Amino acid sequence: MDRKVAIVGYKQTKYLEQNENPRERMVMNLVQSLLQDMKITRDDIGTFILSCSDFQDGRTISECFMIPWVGAYMKDVSKVDSDSANAVLYAMMRILSGNYETALVVSWAMGGSEFRSPRVMDFELDPIYERQAKLVNEITAAALQAQAYMAKSKLTEEQLAALAVKNLRNGARNPLALRKKADATAKDILSSRPLASPLRELHAYTPADGACAVLLASEEKARELTKNPVWIKGVGFCQDTYYLGERDLVKMDSLQKAAKTAYKMAGITDPAKKIGVSELHTTFVSQEPIFAEALGLIPKNAGPNAVSKGALEIEGKTPINPSGGPQAANPLMVSGLIRIAEACTQLRGEAGEHQVKKTPRLALAHGQIGMAAQHNVVFVLGN
Amino acid sequence: MRNVAIISVGYNGRFVAKRPDVNIPELIQPAVANAIKKTKLKYSDIGVVVEGNMPTFEGINYPHLWFSDHIGAAGKPVLRISTGGTTGMSVFQGGYYCVASGMFDVAMVIGWEKHDEGDAQVGLIGIVLPEAFSMFQFGPDMGGGGTGMMGGLSSTGGASFQALSYLHRAKGTPDHIDKMAAQARSNAAKNPYAHLQHPNCTAADIAKTPMVSYPLRYGHTCPASCGACVMLLVAEEKVKKFADTDRVAWVKAVATASSDATTGNLVDGQINDPAEQAICEKIAAPKAYKMAGIQNPKKEIQMCEVYDGFAHQELMWPEKLHLVDNSCKAIDEGRLAIDGDMPVNPSGGVVSTNAIGASAMVRVAEASLQIMGMAEGGHQVPRRVKNALAHGWGGLFQFVTITILGDEPVKR
Amino acid sequence: MEKVKKPLKETRQVSDILDMSSLKWRIEADGLELLVQGFKEKKILGRKCHKCGSVYVPGLSFCRKCFITIEDVVEVSKKGKIACYTASLADVRGNPVENITVSVQVNLDGSDSWLMGHLEIDDWKKVYVGMPAEVVLREETNGTLADMVCFRPI
Repeated sequence: MDRKVAIVGYKQTKYLEQNENPRERMVMNLVQSLLQDMKITRDDIGTFILSCSDFQDGRTISECFMIPWVGAYMKDVSKVDSDSANAVLYAMMRILSGNYETALVVSWAMGGSEFRSPRVMDFELDPIYERQAKLVNEITAAALQAQAYMAKSKLTEEQLAALAVKNLRNGARNPLALRKKADATAKDILSSRPLASPLRELHAYTPADGACAVLLASEEKARELTKNPVWIKGVGFCQDTYYLGERDLVKMDSLQKAAKTAYKMAGITDPAKKIGVSELHTTFVSQEPIFAEALGLIPKNAGPNAVSKGALEIEGKTPINPSGGPQAANPLMVSGLIRIAEACTQLRGEAGEHQVKKTPRLALAHGQIGMAAQHNVVFVLGN
Repeated sequence: MRNVAIISVGYNGRFVAKRPDVNIPELIQPAVANAIKKTKLKYSDIGVVVEGNMPTFEGINYPHLWFSDHIGAAGKPVLRISTGGTTGMSVFQGGYYCVASGMFDVAMVIGWEKHDEGDAQVGLIGIVLPEAFSMFQFGPDMGGGGTGMMGGLSSTGGASFQALSYLHRAKGTPDHIDKMAAQARSNAAKNPYAHLQHPNCTAADIAKTPMVSYPLRYGHTCPASCGACVMLLVAEEKVKKFADTDRVAWVKAVATASSDATTGNLVDGQINDPAEQAICEKIAAPKAYKMAGIQNPKKEIQMCEVYDGFAHQELMWPEKLHLVDNSCKAIDEGRLAIDGDMPVNPSGGVVSTNAIGASAMVRVAEASLQIMGMAEGGHQVPRRVKNALAHGWGGLFQFVTITILGDEPVKR
Repeated sequence: MEKVKKPLKETRQVSDILDMSSLKWRIEADGLELLVQGFKEKKILGRKCHKCGSVYVPGLSFCRKCFITIEDVVEVSKKGKIACYTASLADVRGNPVENITVSVQVNLDGSDSWLMGHLEIDDWKKVYVGMPAEVVLREETNGTLADMVCFRPI
C-alpha cells in the first residue's frame, strides 16, 4: 500500500428517541452541514459508501429512496450491509486502490422511533435451530458472555454497575447523547429493570434515532481539505464462528485477530501504552472489560482492578467510551461510525466537556455485529 | 493501481426453482468447493470473503454470520455488501477493491439467493411499502380506476413502462422482445447451469405466452431461481502461484452509478425516464471505458453479459453501453447471437436464470469464462474473446454497475 | 417451457413470519400534501427549484439535482403529453382480464417530472407516446387523491 488515507471531516446528528425529521430529511441536513463545514459540494465526492440495514429500516433495499438525500443523485454509490465501521473500511480500500480521492460514508438508523429491537434482532439468528428454540437473543447472548467473564475474572455486580455509572456520567458530558445521568449511582443501576442476569436495563444500549457521516480522503487531497487530518494508521476485521457454544466468549478470538492486524499495520507493539483513548461498540456495558482485555488495553483478568481504580474513566489511565458509548446513545448499526467520529474528536481535541485529559496521539475505534460480538472491526487512528 | 485477476468460477450446480434438499449453507458450500477445486489455492490462502444477497427475501439479517462457518470462513475477515439487484456485482467489486487496495492478495466473492425459502414478491413490495402506505393517508380511490397511482409500484408495472419507452425510442415492436427472449431461452439450453432452458426456442413460441402488461409477455419475464456463484480474485503477482490455467480474466475496469428511483417514486415525483438510463450511458459506461483504456467499445469488446430481468432490457442495455447502435435492428440481423459480432448473454441471461443476489455476479463470472474459453455446453463464443463486459442493474431501475474484463492486464 | 421435475428428497422444514407490521415509518410526503391541497382549488401544484429551475409534481421540498431544500410553489398545466403507458391484459397467473386498464405516465406542461394515473380510453391500442392528455378532476373536490379521476386524451 503506497497510499495513505485520512478522515478529514465528520458530523453526527443529536441522538434522540425520535428525531424531529423522517430519516430522509435527517440525513440530508447532516450531509449538507458536513459539506458546508468542509467548504465542498457533492460533486467533490468520489464515491459514497452507505451503511444501512433492510431489517432496521423495515424496507427492502433500504438505500433506494435515500440516494438523492445523501447527495448521491447520479453519483458513484455502494452499500455495506453490516456495522458502519465496515463501510469506512470499504471506503478506505476504494481510496487505497487509487481509483478515488475522496469517499463519504453515511449511515443512519431510526433505532428509537421506528425499530422494534428484540423481534427484529432475532432475524440475525439462524432460522433452523436458534430461531426456533428461542433461547438465544441479543440479551441472553450478552448475559452468558457477561456471566462467563464475571466468573473468570471475579468482577462483581457492583463493579459492573460502576462501569454503567461511568458511561451514564460520560453521556451527561456529551451534548449529542440521549441517556444522560450526571448523578447516576450504582444503586440506580442495580435497581433498574432486570433483563437477563446479570444484565439490567441500564447496562444495555439505548436505542436512538440518528445518523453519522464521515469524509475520507487520500493523503494529497486530505492536506488540501483540512489542516488537521486524522490518519487511518491501522485496520483489521475478523469474524468468529457463529454458535455461542463453539467460541470462547471471554477470549474473543475474532476481536484479538482484528486487533492484531490493526496494530501490525499501525506498527504498535504495546497498545496499552500507545493508545490514548478507545471508543468501543459495546452493546452491553459488560463487554467493556472483555473487549479491553482482548484488545490488549488492560492485562488479562484486570477488569475488576481497572474498574476499582477508575482506569476506564475519562480522567483515567485507559479511557474507554468518553462519549458515554452505546449506553448513552445507540442508533444500531450507525454505532461503529460514531465510534470512529468520536475517536477523531478526541484526537483533534474537539470533544469539549468529554475530552480526555491528555489529548491522545493514537485512538482506537471499534465496531461489531452479531450475538456476543461475533464480527469485529478495529481501527487505529492517529494524527 | 494493483491489477486483479479472476482465476476461477464456481457454481453450486444448475440453477433451479426449488432446492428443498438443502439449506442455505449447503447451497453455497458446493459453489465454494467447485471454485477452489479449479485452482492451486488452499483454503488458508484466502485472505478475505465478500458476500451478499437480498436479506429480506429469505428473512435472515446478516446471514453471513451464520453460513460463513459452513464454508470455512470463521476466523477470517468477512465483508457483506448488498445493493438490491446489483448486489452480485457490488460484491464482486468489493472483492476487487479488497485486492486492488493492497490489503489482501486473495479474495473470495460469493453471490447467492435461495428463493424457495422466502417470498420474493413480499420482499419486492417491501421496497415501496412505506411510500404506498403514505399514499393511503391521502385518500386514493380504492375502487379501481381512480388515480391509479399505485399501478406502477410493482416490478412488472415499472418494467412495462421502461419497455414501452424503450420501444418508442428504438422504433421497435414487441416482436423484437419476443425474438430476444427466444434467443435467451435457446442460449440458456446451451448453458448447463441455466434455469429455464428451451432448445431452439422461436419468437413464435414466446408470442404464444399471454401478454401480462403491454408490451411485456409472460415469456419476457425471469424465473426465481436458487443458486450460488463464487469467484476467486487474486493480485497480479500471485496469479502464477495460484492459477491452474494460463488464461485468466483480468479486471480492466469497474464502475458504478446511482440515480433517483426512476419508477415507483410516486411520493417524490419521478423525474427520470426508466428507459433513459443516463447513469449508464453518460456516467458509468464512459468511466469504465476510460479506466479500461477502451476507445471504441463496439470494436474492442467481443461479447457482453447484461442484467436482463425482463427481455426488453437485453435490447436496451447494449445500446446504453455503447456496444450496439440499435438493438432491434441488430437482433433482426442476428448480430446479437452467440456467433454474431456482438453476442449478448450467451449464457441465457437473467431472463433465463435469476437468483437475485447471484445474478449480477453471474454476469461477471460468465464474461470471465468466455475470456478463459471455459464456457461449457456450447455457449462459448466462437471467436477469441479479448475483452468482455458485464453489467448489472438494481433498485427501482436506478443502480448500474459495470465491469470490464480482458485477457491481458492493463498497464498502469 | 421445460420444467425440472426430478423427484427431490424433502428435508425437514421450519417456518417463520417476517413480521415488520408494526414498524412506524415516518415519511415527509409534503409533495403529495401539496398536490391534494391543489386539488381542492382544482389546480395541479408542484415545487420549483430556485437554483436549477426543475419543477417537480408531486413536489417534495427538495431538489435532488442541486441537493437543496426548495419551497417555491408553482401551478402547472392540467394538460400534458403521455410519456409512456402500459395496458394490463392478464393477471399474475396469466389469465386474461375483463376490464383492461391503461396506466400512463404523463409529463404535464411546465413540469419536469411524470405523474402517473389511469387513462380513460375505449381502445388501448389507440394510445401512443406523445399523445396529448389532461387530468380529469371530479366535480366536487375535497383534497384527497381520489379527486383525480383519471387522465383523458385531448
